[in-house]
Amino acid sequence: MEVRKEFKLMFTSAKYALMREMLNKVTFFSNIIFMILNNASFIIQWIILYSIKDNVGGYSFKMVMLLWALASFSFGISHFFFKRAYNLSNIIMNGSLDNYLVQPKNVLLSAISSDVDVSAIGDIIYGLIVYFVCGFSIDTFILFLIFGITSSLIITSIAVIVGSLSFWFTKSEGFADRMNNMITNFATYPEGIFRGVIKIILYTIIPLGVVSYIPIQVLTNFNLINFLIVIGSCILFIIFAFIIFNRGLKRYSSTNLMIARI
Amino acid sequence: MRKYFYIFKTELMSNLNYVFNVLFSFIGYFIHILVFFYLWSYIYSDSSQVINGYSKSQMIWYVIITEVIWSVLAGRSFCRKISEDVKSGNITYNLNKPYSYIGYLLSSKMGEMSISFVLYFIGAIILGLIFLGSLPSINIIQFIIVLLSCILACIISAFLIIIIGLFAFYIEDTGPFYWVYSKVILIFGTIFPIEFFPGILKNILSYSPIYVVSYGPAKLFVNFSYIESIKILIAQVIYIIITYLLCLLIYKKGEKRLNVNGG
Repeated sequence: MEVRKEFKLMFTSAKYALMREMLNKVTFFSNIIFMILNNASFIIQWIILYSIKDNVGGYSFKMVMLLWALASFSFGISHFFFKRAYNLSNIIMNGSLDNYLVQPKNVLLSAISSDVDVSAIGDIIYGLIVYFVCGFSIDTFILFLIFGITSSLIITSIAVIVGSLSFWFTKSEGFADRMNNMITNFATYPEGIFRGVIKIILYTIIPLGVVSYIPIQVLTNFNLINFLIVIGSCILFIIFAFIIFNRGLKRYSSTNLMIARI
Repeated sequence: MRKYFYIFKTELMSNLNYVFNVLFSFIGYFIHILVFFYLWSYIYSDSSQVINGYSKSQMIWYVIITEVIWSVLAGRSFCRKISEDVKSGNITYNLNKPYSYIGYLLSSKMGEMSISFVLYFIGAIILGLIFLGSLPSINIIQFIIVLLSCILACIISAFLIIIIGLFAFYIEDTGPFYWVYSKVILIFGTIFPIEFFPGILKNILSYSPIYVVSYGPAKLFVNFSYIESIKILIAQVIYIIITYLLCLLIYKKGEKRLNVNGG
């Protein structure tokens, strides 16, 4: 019941933030359209690479597009609903967390879902367009939606974990930024091109295995064990993010920042 | 000119205090290069293969140099700063100062870029040597010409970002224009040399800013030729004049639209 209330509040918060953003329609729509164009520009990169070689890292062109569809869709969901997870370090460092401590709701959820990133709607739309063009089937569409949600929750959890390091270390926002960028950088390239230590890192420190690679394997060739590994990892990451944040919260001492929220 | 030199120097001295930040941001550059190193190593089945006139080593060195030019620019924050100056009205503080706003932006950006350019360039060469084992065949005079070309490329890139930032006189959010610009530079200039594109596109790109902001300097580094270097340097000077005049034009027109309330 409590979880349902939290979700209801999260969606209401997103709804009002979206309405605020829609006040300037030109900016709103240009943000979405340009983000779609921004993502679409990478198709050229892959067309050129596939004109040189038929197979890149064990992936066909269609599979790379599916990888892009999933990455774009899940990053879109994460950045739209949990925009502030990517700015958590600064929220902790400058004392803005105070605003959420006095609210009778979960502090972490309130803090990370209090604003939306409009351009992320472009990511979500682009992900769906690419999926419909390159890999649509009724059987896999449900799976695609599930993996879109699990991947978005995992990358949000990672953003929360690295952002929460600011409870312990000052100036850790640079590390959090690098970590989040690293996930974006690797997530859109086939895993087969990476070898040795990097490949191990991609399945451990930067858990792209469960964010991108395993979901793509399941989408193209269903395997129940891999499906359960993704779901299980997602749950574990969420629990871990809450534990780290709540432990850090006990150390939080605010700042002398005084601002008026209107 | 002296006043712009002082702005350059002040920015340079102030950025000397943040050398650690530059080194930290090098991690992002390193990750990019790592991805492209693996990608091109996979595409080139063996190291003796030549694709569109580039060997594997030349291809990776090409990306190493173009990424340096792109990374030291830190275009996103520069574009955001200019847009914010216009939107917040801060730009008015520059109206009564005895310098041109465009000159101020360029000299402060050059001051900021100097430290990162030196550190990134040294880091990039070390990285390339670790990944590839040797430098492309280039002598000291040729290396100086490449450095000059890289500096001119940074100046043109800065002017192009200023143009995008100044669009804030006309539209509220210039961010989307910057995204598209950055992706065009990335796809058509940073990841692939112009030779990788089909006929007509190749010709168009040879006259576009991509030729002078990324392809030119990197091409000289991986396969130097004096004739090509003269062509590239002349094209860069022409582009500096054109982009500077465009900045001035947009700024002068935008200045007339400026309407700042309160203070």
